[in-house]
Amino acid sequence: MTDKESKRPISRRKFLKTSTLVVAGGAIAYGAVSVPLLRKDRRLLRPPGALDEDIFLASCIKCGQCLQVCPPQVIILAGISQGFGIGTPYIIPREGGCILCSGLPCVLACPTGALAHELSLGKDAEMGLAVISHPDTCLSVRGVNDLVFRLENLQKKRTSSPYQTELKDILTSLIKRLTVDEKKAWRNRFSLPELSDKNLLTILKQSKNSDLKWVINFAESSSQAQKACQICLEDCPIKDEKTIVFVTRTHPDTGQDYLWPSVRKTCVGCGVCEEKCPTPVASITVTPRLKWSEKQAGNQTRKNNQT
Amino acid sequence: MKNRPEKKNKNQEQVKTFKGAGLRSQNCPQPGHPKHKWRSIRWAILLFFNFLFFASFFFDIQILEGTLSGSRLLGFHLIDPLAAFQIILSSKIIMVNLIIGVVTIFLIYLMLGGRSFCAWICPYHWLAELGEKLYQILNKKKIIKNHPFDRRIRYYFYGFFLVLALITGYTVFETINPVAIISRFTVYGPSLMLLWVMALLIFEMLYSRRAWCRYFCPVGVSYQLIGLMSPLRIKWDKENCSNCKRCQSVCLVPHVLTDSVNLGKSEYVNASDCTRCGLCVDICDDEALSYGVKYLDKLI
Repeated sequence: MTDKESKRPISRRKFLKTSTLVVAGGAIAYGAVSVPLLRKDRRLLRPPGALDEDIFLASCIKCGQCLQVCPPQVIILAGISQGFGIGTPYIIPREGGCILCSGLPCVLACPTGALAHELSLGKDAEMGLAVISHPDTCLSVRGVNDLVFRLENLQKKRTSSPYQTELKDILTSLIKRLTVDEKKAWRNRFSLPELSDKNLLTILKQSKNSDLKWVINFAESSSQAQKACQICLEDCPIKDEKTIVFVTRTHPDTGQDYLWPSVRKTCVGCGVCEEKCPTPVASITVTPRLKWSEKQAGNQTRKNNQT
Repeated sequence: MKNRPEKKNKNQEQVKTFKGAGLRSQNCPQPGHPKHKWRSIRWAILLFFNFLFFASFFFDIQILEGTLSGSRLLGFHLIDPLAAFQIILSSKIIMVNLIIGVVTIFLIYLMLGGRSFCAWICPYHWLAELGEKLYQILNKKKIIKNHPFDRRIRYYFYGFFLVLALITGYTVFETINPVAIISRFTVYGPSLMLLWVMALLIFEMLYSRRAWCRYFCPVGVSYQLIGLMSPLRIKWDKENCSNCKRCQSVCLVPHVLTDSVNLGKSEYVNASDCTRCGLCVDICDDEALSYGVKYLDKLI
């Protein structure tokens, strides 16, 4: 009798211990299994040369050597919230697209061939395809110049990047696009000694509010302001082949002509256009893993449904 | 049928005959200043190599790039064998670089003692060693007691995860591999998976002493197989041993010392589980344990 009584509290403690362990273990196991399952369908933009998703997940060793050698450092490793591939590399195009640098060091660094070594040129990569996901905000469709748009946003302090870096970025692009006469006008306004682009940028150091207003007016009246935004094409790392062609279309309601950025077969889905798109939410986004044939098929069915 | 009882008797006889011939047997266990010579060297090497991994990305020093699952030492591929086997089974592709990496690892650890990877390189082992201190304090105060498991679970895990890789077509173990998670953490920054590592450590500290390394970790198994062939072993000197068994009290895998210390029949610690960590060498006051090279020692 005494033995049994003395044993009871111990067994209860033991029961409590084991049950908490089981519950804790179960919770961890549940999290480890359910989170990836929930996120299973989310596709990630993989570095260039990545094999098909299933076989990529199977062969990636999660060593992160691709990320070590990436010159623009845009590759990051997936965590548990990105689904099954914990520790696998991916790219967030809005934060930094792949610039398809020569030699593709990430592909060379991969020890398992999850980034296939057959790929040697950036333009042969098949990461995905760019899609105009928000045609209503696209500056090209609206006929708005990108620098004017960005300057206005800057004035209203609606930019995500710091004020000074954004201003410098805008002014460098602006000066590059000016005609010689406009550059001269710029020099005279700020009474600068030389006409070189670098010299024209020196106004950054002064930067008064009145100057900024003058610059905005100047940018709006300059010849380049007539041209609608084509940043996605201009910054595309594939230079020798046209990845985006601006097609003239007529608006069905207003009857106005506008330029529609039409993504072509040569697009590899690097994501630079998404990164550089000046609208607050990128109007052009990369759909990872999307193939040209799939996209064509999708367009076909959509057209068929409409008719 | 006849042989069995004879064998048992033999062992018993040896246990009876071996009581320790060491001179200091009367005083053992000796209270005294603990030596940490090999542990200090080992920790320094462990931290140095993990720092090299960290430095490869943080300072762009390209000596040892990558993480512990796959890396490059001065440009040469090094691949963790278990990860490589999983990838081969899951992707059904045999990559030359994988084979090169595994062979390099095989050659390196063939010279350096197989499971020495665990004690001398693995960052989880180091954290667990620190955690073990807390375990020992709590155990001494009788707040917790040890809950041992069967150490063969590791081998079953090894097979299980290889089969799982083949069936699912995905390297399942690599997602929960605490060694790789910590290694990725040191190089590329924290991730949520660290919570899993923390849970493991807490389990070790409060419930079962060194549970992961002792009973569960399949990463060490591949190094253990290399260790079977490695000549670098712990050497046991029968003449000096006083049979105080303190070596077994600090050992991660105490059963490896049984053949020598308890039965007195083996000059070297031959069991493949031995991590060559040197804790037993440090604690031995009789100079009965030392590092040795199995086939070379006799020649010299």
